[in-house]
Order: sequence, then structure tokens, then C-alpha cells
Amino acid sequence: MTLQGDTPRFSEGFVEADGFHIHYMSAGEGLPLIHLHGAGGPRLTPAHDKLSRQHRVIAFEMPGFGRSGHNTRTSSTADMAETMHAAIRALGVERCNLWATSFGARVALWLAARQPTLVSALVLEAPAAIRPAGQMPPSGSPEEVARMIYAHPERQASLPAADLAGQAKTREFVMRVRGPDRDADLEAAMRRLETPVLVLFGTHDQLMPPELGRHYKELLANGHLVFVYDAGHAISTERPEAFVEVTSDFLERHEAFVINRVGTVKYP
Amino acid sequence: MKVSYFETGRYVLPPDLAREWPVPPAAYDPGDGAEAFRGMVDRVQFVERLGFDWISLSEHHYSPRILTPSPVVSAAWIAARVNTIKIALLGPIVPTSNPIRIAEELAMLDTLAPGRFVFGLLRGTTNEYLSYDLNPTEARERTDEGMELILKAWTEPQPFGWQGRYFQYRTVSLWPRPQQPPAPTYVLGTSAEAGAFAARHHLGLGVSYGNFDSMARATGYYRQQCAQYGWSPGPDDIVWRANMILGETDEAAENALNRRDKQAPFPVRAGLRDALIAADTTRNIAGQSQRANVGGVLPISFCGGPDRVVDQIRRAREQIGVGVLDLSLTDPGTGDMDAMMEGLDLFGRSVLPRIREI
Repeated sequence: MTLQGDTPRFSEGFVEADGFHIHYMSAGEGLPLIHLHGAGGPRLTPAHDKLSRQHRVIAFEMPGFGRSGHNTRTSSTADMAETMHAAIRALGVERCNLWATSFGARVALWLAARQPTLVSALVLEAPAAIRPAGQMPPSGSPEEVARMIYAHPERQASLPAADLAGQAKTREFVMRVRGPDRDADLEAAMRRLETPVLVLFGTHDQLMPPELGRHYKELLANGHLVFVYDAGHAISTERPEAFVEVTSDFLERHEAFVINRVGTVKYP
Repeated sequence: MKVSYFETGRYVLPPDLAREWPVPPAAYDPGDGAEAFRGMVDRVQFVERLGFDWISLSEHHYSPRILTPSPVVSAAWIAARVNTIKIALLGPIVPTSNPIRIAEELAMLDTLAPGRFVFGLLRGTTNEYLSYDLNPTEARERTDEGMELILKAWTEPQPFGWQGRYFQYRTVSLWPRPQQPPAPTYVLGTSAEAGAFAARHHLGLGVSYGNFDSMARATGYYRQQCAQYGWSPGPDDIVWRANMILGETDEAAENALNRRDKQAPFPVRAGLRDALIAADTTRNIAGQSQRANVGGVLPISFCGGPDRVVDQIRRAREQIGVGVLDLSLTDPGTGDMDAMMEGLDLFGRSVLPRIREI
């Protein structure tokens, strides 16, 4: 797992679930906020750190990625949802919020659809539950990937070290389990979902065009679409303060998050 | 070449008015104000008969010279009183405004008279930030974000929230929407940021008040950016707002130029001017740093008799790529309305028919 910036609060662990030895990082107290990462694997960001001040953040590394090992068994994102459900339960969690990034969104949506009593609310960051036709996971050198996932790659202080072999393996796994660009079964499940869902798109996302957001609004009865201005695909990395503010507010208040409670009195 | 007439709501200034901004409201005459707006209709109907393609409007605050703090109100007043001419709002000042309000009001205009409007989105001159208490150092970024939000509000079919740097909305869901696609929309400005934004969103560019070379640099940068985004702007995509002095002869025009007031009509005090210039550091033409213009006299870009002016307009087309000229034929605040109408009439008779093919 790549650590970005100063996130000393996070401790590492492994949990045995569904026959996998699953790696995770966690920090903070309170109702757990489970993070399911994107196709590039997990990466702790300043957003993880900020969110861990208010939530017990558990960032899993899904089997098939990095330290959670090789995975030839999982065949779909729905399968992966079963595995991650087992992992969450194995940590003793009975109620949680879910935050899913890009590739992780399908897993999270399946999990929320199948475990409505487990999942209180769901935040989808640049979700890939609905993909543009033929869209491929980003690949290449760290600089090439950065150009695809950030609106402003030049503002990133550090990029992960190049690991082309690891990237190829992960990519093969993602391509195998990720499913079709539009998944009718998943979308049918989304139509039935009553869980509050916050859907975030960066206005400058080149991988998942923000125009896809409208499909989530159409499918999700309790879905809320928010554009994060001047962010690319990696919203929580590029605009952590903006991401954390809307995410925390939504997790706390669900649909009532649309009511402004910020005071504007200048001098009482 | 298309031609636009810049209507400023001509308030006839009393001769003894203090020449310093802000001008005390005590000096304002409500009757003269009402007359300025009645005259607005006369002038717009007149240029419509002359065959002008557009009239344009602007937003200025606390200004006796340009009496239109709300271009939307001006536009609604005019739209009900003309038949064919297009009405260009050049434009709402984005960084001092609520972008959703701009999106809504322009959408409402576009719905009141479909096909009749042209919109421009503007950063605004530095002095305007004083009127709505905007920190000049934030103006550039607020403009870029506000424009992005306005375009999103116009086109997004589902309710959405906006998590910006300067603006935050949890629910945006416009009724009425503008026409789809919305009225032709321009980003106004010579900066690299304006050119790049317009190129990225396939919008036109409106430049103003410079010499031929600087305007050509701004539009050249814009065209270069458009090429990077895989498209090529046409003549209608480039508007130039400029001052023109047109005479029956070159000599008459030059005499008028020499008589022109060389002082800014209502300058801010020197100390404030310098502080404003120091605070507004991001002004540029196509990326080349440019000092903010605070209370400076705006240049005359075209001057001459009809033949010379036609040649200058041809050069503007060739050098700058401009396809719409937005003209002032006399300085705002000039009290001589007869001279102004004569100038417009001369333009309509002796220049307009000759520049159509340019």
C-alpha cells in the first residue's frame, strides 16, 4: 500500500475471510467507514487522514491487489462483494458506511444492495459502475497515469513508484472481474436500492466523464449527485478538503445534507 | 462582417459633475435617468433599421457614464421593443455574482425570446470589484469556476450539487432551462485563461479595447487552444468591442479625435488606483502580463472617413480574425445625441453595406 503524505495514524492488519488473507489499514473511532479502492489499488490520501478524525476508517485491499495476494477465484464484482462482506463481518462490524472509488463502486453497490442492514450510506467517488463504451483502466508510467487521473498532475507532490509488473497483474485481474460497460443486473439492483448514495464526479474527469453522473440520478431513488470542481478522476487526492466536507456531511445527515447550516453573520 | 452597436444607457452628464469615482448619488437626476432609458429604445430601434446585426449591453456599477448595473434588466426592456436585431449581453460580471442567478436569468431571457440573444461571460474590470466588495486577487479563479458552473447548470439534465472552491450548492436544478443548445455564448477577455476556457468549451471569444497587435495575440492564442481541442473557430466566434471615430472625411474624423477628452471621466484617486493595480496581478494578454487598467482612457481603434474605416475593418478581419465588431461611435457620456445619431447614420449608409463581404 502506498502512503501519501503524513498518515501516521493508520495501522495495518490482516483479516481472514472467505478463504482470503485480506490486508487493511485503519484509523479513527466511531461508526466504521469502509473504503473500497479503485483499479489501481489502495492508496492512503490526505482524505483518509481527515476522515479518520471523525470516522473509524478501514481501507481494505481487495483480494487480487497487492498484499492481499493473487486471486484466481473471484469472477465478478458481485463475488467480490460477498468476499468483502465476509471481511467486514470478520472485523466485527455490524453497521457501517461505505466509500468506494471508481472500480470499487460496483463492489460497493452490490454490497449495499445485498446487505441493506449493514450499509447505512454509500459514497461513490468517480464511480465506474457505468462505464463509457470500451473504457480501459489507466496504465503506463506514473506520469502517464497521473495525466489520466488528475486535472492538475503538476500539483501532485509525489507520484507512486513505477511497478509495471504489478500493474499488469492487477489490470489483468480487473479486466477479468469488472463486467460489461453497462451491467443490466447491477442497474436493476440500483433501481431497487433505498440506501442513501452520494455520487461524486470531478468536473475534469477524463476517465469517467462527469456526464455519467446523470445515470446514477436516474437509477438511484435516494441518489445525490455532486460535481467537485476542478478535480479529475482522483477526487479525494486532488481536492481532499472539498471531498471530505461533502462526504462527512452526507454521512452524518444523509439527504438532509442539502440544507445549509453554515452561518453567514459577519459581526453579531 | 457583422456589426453590433454598444448601447450604454446614455445619461447626459451635468457639466459641473465632480470628476472622481465614486460620483455622489446626490448628483443623480431621476428625470435624466428615465430619459436615458427611453433613449435606449430609440437608439436600438434606429440601429435595427440601419441593419446592425446586434446591439450589445454591459454591466457597470456606480457609473454615470454607463447607466446599466443590470444587463439582464436592460435586455428584457429592449427585447420587448425590437423585432429582429440580436441582443448581446457582454456581459454579466461573473466573479461578483451568484453564478446560479446568472444562469437562471440568462436562461429566462433565452426562453422569453428564443434565438434573439447572445451571451458573454465576463471577469470585469478591476474597479468593478469595489462595488460588490470582491477581493481582486480572487477574481480570476471565481470567474473560471463561476463560468464552469453556469455552463453545467444550463446543460445538466438531473439535479446536482457543486463542491467548488468559491461556490457551493447542494441542489441545482434550473427551470426554465435555456434553449438547447443555449444562445451563442462568449468568454470575454484577452487573457490566456479566457482563451483556454472558451476553447475547451467550444465557446466564442470576445476581446475589447486594445490595438490591433494585442487583439491579434489574444485571438491567436484562442485559435491555437481551439486547435488543441480539435476544432477551429469561425468568424462569428470572435467579437471585438472597440471605439470608432467615423467622419465624412478622414480629416473630419481626425479633428474629432483631437477634440476627444484625453482624461478619464471619473478616475479613482491615485492612491486607490495604485492599490487596485497592485492587488490585481493576474491580468494578461495571451499569457503576457498586463497591468490592470483602472480608470484609463480606452483607445480609439478605428478612425477615418468611410474608405479608411472600411480598410481598417478589412485588416481587423485578416489580422484578428474578428467576425463581429461591437462598436461605440462616440464616448459614453457624450451629451451630444444628435452627433451620435448622425455618426450611426453615416456608418449605416457608408460603411455597413461595404463590409458585409469582409
